[in-house]
Amino acid sequence: MSRLLIVEDEAHIASGLRFNLEADGHNVTLKDNGEAALDEIEADPSQVDLVVLDVMLPGMDGFTVAARMRAKGWLTPILMLTARGRAEDVLRGFEAGADDYLPKPFDLSILIARINALLRRHSWHIAGRGATHTPAPPPPEARDRFGFADKIVDFDAQELQVGMTKYPLTLMEANLLRYLVQHEGKAISRKNMLEDVWNLREDTDTRAIDHFIARLRKYIEKEPSRPRHVLTVRGVGYKFIANPR
Amino acid sequence: MSVAPGRQGVIAFFVTFCVCLVALAVALNVGWVVLTLREIVPLLVGSLVFAAIITGLILNTTFLVREIRLNEQHDAFVNAVTHELKTPVTSIRLHLETLKARGPAVDEVKRHEFYDVMLKDSDRLMHLIEQVLSAGQKGYIPFQQVRIDLKELASECITLTRSQRRLPEEALRMIDTSREPIEVIGDPDHLRGAVLNLLDNAVKYSRETVHVEVEIGKGEQDLAVVRVRDQGIGIPPNETKRIFGRFYRTPWALTQRVKGTGLGLFIVAQTAKRHGGRVSAKSEGVGRGATFTLELPSAPQVRSLV
Repeated sequence: MSRLLIVEDEAHIASGLRFNLEADGHNVTLKDNGEAALDEIEADPSQVDLVVLDVMLPGMDGFTVAARMRAKGWLTPILMLTARGRAEDVLRGFEAGADDYLPKPFDLSILIARINALLRRHSWHIAGRGATHTPAPPPPEARDRFGFADKIVDFDAQELQVGMTKYPLTLMEANLLRYLVQHEGKAISRKNMLEDVWNLREDTDTRAIDHFIARLRKYIEKEPSRPRHVLTVRGVGYKFIANPR
Repeated sequence: MSVAPGRQGVIAFFVTFCVCLVALAVALNVGWVVLTLREIVPLLVGSLVFAAIITGLILNTTFLVREIRLNEQHDAFVNAVTHELKTPVTSIRLHLETLKARGPAVDEVKRHEFYDVMLKDSDRLMHLIEQVLSAGQKGYIPFQQVRIDLKELASECITLTRSQRRLPEEALRMIDTSREPIEVIGDPDHLRGAVLNLLDNAVKYSRETVHVEVEIGKGEQDLAVVRVRDQGIGIPPNETKRIFGRFYRTPWALTQRVKGTGLGLFIVAQTAKRHGGRVSAKSEGVGRGATFTLELPSAPQVRSLV
């Protein structure tokens, strides 16, 4: 049983979501604004396994709520819901720290599948960090790691280990890094990254990816301003080099 | 509608550009005039042409700035309508899918609750569609002319708003200032729509503490008056006229994140105009509530047969 927090000010949608998620055996808390949601998590961040977050909220909007959560170091997975599904809105959501994103109106079965996927990852993540209160251990064959230089990426735990330090990654950061690793040594265009990692088929504001790259560089590179692993390919996009000479 | 920072920059650029061009042209021409002071005819012709060019330049910039603002308002409207349209559809779809997927797992009570939710959402959708259509209407609109008692109409609207917004009786009250019925000639549907819009706004912009008073009475020159007073977020002093414009929403309302399409008050104003009346807003300023006054010509007295 997972504890879900739904932040949605439209009472009808909130109660419909609650009914479905409770029917699936989850424990659901509803909040109708961002401030109340943050207070709820603050009381005990370990008591919330997933946040379903609407963007258009009265007062503080969903982007701000997500950004505040990440700034406080709470890595609870966030699934964002919003009526605006344009590429720039989606990317803004991911940038704020969302792990997944669904435009309204959504398909109930897809919503539930996405929630379960996020919960599964989250439970591996917690198990990987040695926490005890989540019983689901990661299946051994699913453990997905990649090592380069003095770094180890654990994609299932969404974690990056550099020397002795561990950095937790958001789902999108982990996905982007996995994509870069899979295409090692090849130049990848921003447009392809958008399509393959974010599933966005628009080429309006491809610069939004640069924020993610900048964050990855902060973790991976000794000097983020003079990258050696994640290189900029002028006029194209980026290239990942695992073992630079 | 507040203009986004990017657009604000564009507007500032064009205005500055225009001012610089005008200043440059004036300097150039004054110099030219000083140099060629003796030739009267060319001087006259030159000055006239020059005046025409400057006027054109200023007009051009004014229109450009206005277009940018309009475009911006239109964007905001599309965003708001997208949200207002998709929310009820999302809810209806969610409940239908729940009924379909979970079938027998949904008990009788829940099932009826879902039906009610879906009906309410389809009403909400219909209401928005009507608003968008009525705000888009131009020219002649079919219009009934019947005798209406405003007190009766207002109390109907109050009951409806109370039940839709789940408000206690004391949150939305009617104050009666005259004994006799207040009658007007007009279209009951349109007037009901206007009063509902005013009540809805009053409740919406009140936030948590709803305290709305509706006063029906006679005003100056025997006008029938509906006054809706709230204790809500208020209106900035220089915005009380603009709020009646199509798509217009005050930057203040936007920072407070009150949802809306910018159509409601426009429709109220149109309705008032069609009935030969007017609507106005008053506010002591932000955070201090607002009062909306709808004034309509009274119906002529019915001669008693005695």
